[in-house]
Amino acid sequence: MSYSKAVLSLYQITLIMLLSLTSCTLVTTKNLVRAPIVKAEYQNLYFSNTNTDYVYKSKIDVYGNYFGGILIIKKIDKSHHRVVLTTEFGSKVFDFEFQNDNFKVNSILEELNRKMIVNTLKKDFQLLLNEQISVTKEYKNADYTIYQSQNKKRFNFYFINNKTADLEKLINTSKTKEKVIIIFNNIDGKLAKKILIAHKSIKLKITLNYLDNN
Amino acid sequence: MHKFIFYIYSLLIIVSVHAQQTQMSQAEIDIFKSRVKTIANNTKTILSDFTQYKHLEFLSNDIKTSGKMSFKAPNLIKWEYTDPYKYSVIFKEDQLLINDDGKKSDVKIGSSKMFKKLNHLIVNSVSGNLFDDNEFDISYYKTDSFYVVKFTSKDKNLSKYIKEFILHFDKRKLHVTEVKMVEPSDDYTQILFKNRQDNIPLKDEVFTN
Repeated sequence: MSYSKAVLSLYQITLIMLLSLTSCTLVTTKNLVRAPIVKAEYQNLYFSNTNTDYVYKSKIDVYGNYFGGILIIKKIDKSHHRVVLTTEFGSKVFDFEFQNDNFKVNSILEELNRKMIVNTLKKDFQLLLNEQISVTKEYKNADYTIYQSQNKKRFNFYFINNKTADLEKLINTSKTKEKVIIIFNNIDGKLAKKILIAHKSIKLKITLNYLDNN
Repeated sequence: MHKFIFYIYSLLIIVSVHAQQTQMSQAEIDIFKSRVKTIANNTKTILSDFTQYKHLEFLSNDIKTSGKMSFKAPNLIKWEYTDPYKYSVIFKEDQLLINDDGKKSDVKIGSSKMFKKLNHLIVNSVSGNLFDDNEFDISYYKTDSFYVVKFTSKDKNLSKYIKEFILHFDKRKLHVTEVKMVEPSDDYTQILFKNRQDNIPLKDEVFTN
């Protein structure tokens, strides 16, 4: 190893150490003040109406590849959702069913049928659809009230706008790192017309725009 | 008694549905096929509006999208959705040229057998020139106003995704008025054509992204 290369790798090691030190505290709760829990249960109502067909034009960016499609979410019953992605032509890309803690793949294109892909999508939709949230901690700042809940080994943070009482942001984290960020925009009552799902540790971004005429 | 009346009514409905759609004789099929072929051979371009309905058994309403379809012989085709979003796909040789509301991408379909078959089906269904295909089992029916042709794929890979492909032909003009793709789950995509114009000049630029 040449001298300059050794210096470079030393520098890299130092940088990694520094980075890992700073990431030991979760950025999500930085500058937030703990507050007493007022509500032990919070409800995410964005996909809660069994009479509504939740139909979104979707744009998916994954590791430099781009796919469009139509994402269809339907609440069938209490704690029971169907989630289907079709191409613009209507052919199904995948068809998932969530019922309580059970998850079923009704169909999926062969090319996408990989454990990693299915698991990532499953977790994202569980995060998006989970309606009943048990609050374990509460935080506050000038703009938001934040409810924290336990999600197996991870945590979910629900950011509720203090003025509008709308859920605007949902962050899934490990003990030290943010993993998935969901942002709800163009909120119309119990409907979020624009949703962005962004992953921090993999290059996956899903943009959803509600189709109004359906 | 009520049950009995209900039973009679159901029977009547079933009988009338069957009466509406009858199988064509071999002689009728031969005439129909040669007429469609003549029309397809004389069709250099097609420009048509379309409305697409996506039916999923669990939805309250079908998902409705609409736009324009352009076809230029022998195999250029463009689907342009304009409502409720802008999205276009051009089938060109072994490529799909996609423009998703300004975001452009190309998909090489050369490697995907299934996509090639779907492309082939779509191009030929629009021109109506599908009947010599060895890859499908084809059956012919007629109603008061339509000829109905049903295709089922012999290819196991394709039939995993599409159970049946149904075309409606207007009896007078022999134009394709409806394309229906039925999935194994019986969910389907239905495309209805209207305001069709034949043989108006369409520049090749229409088929660039």
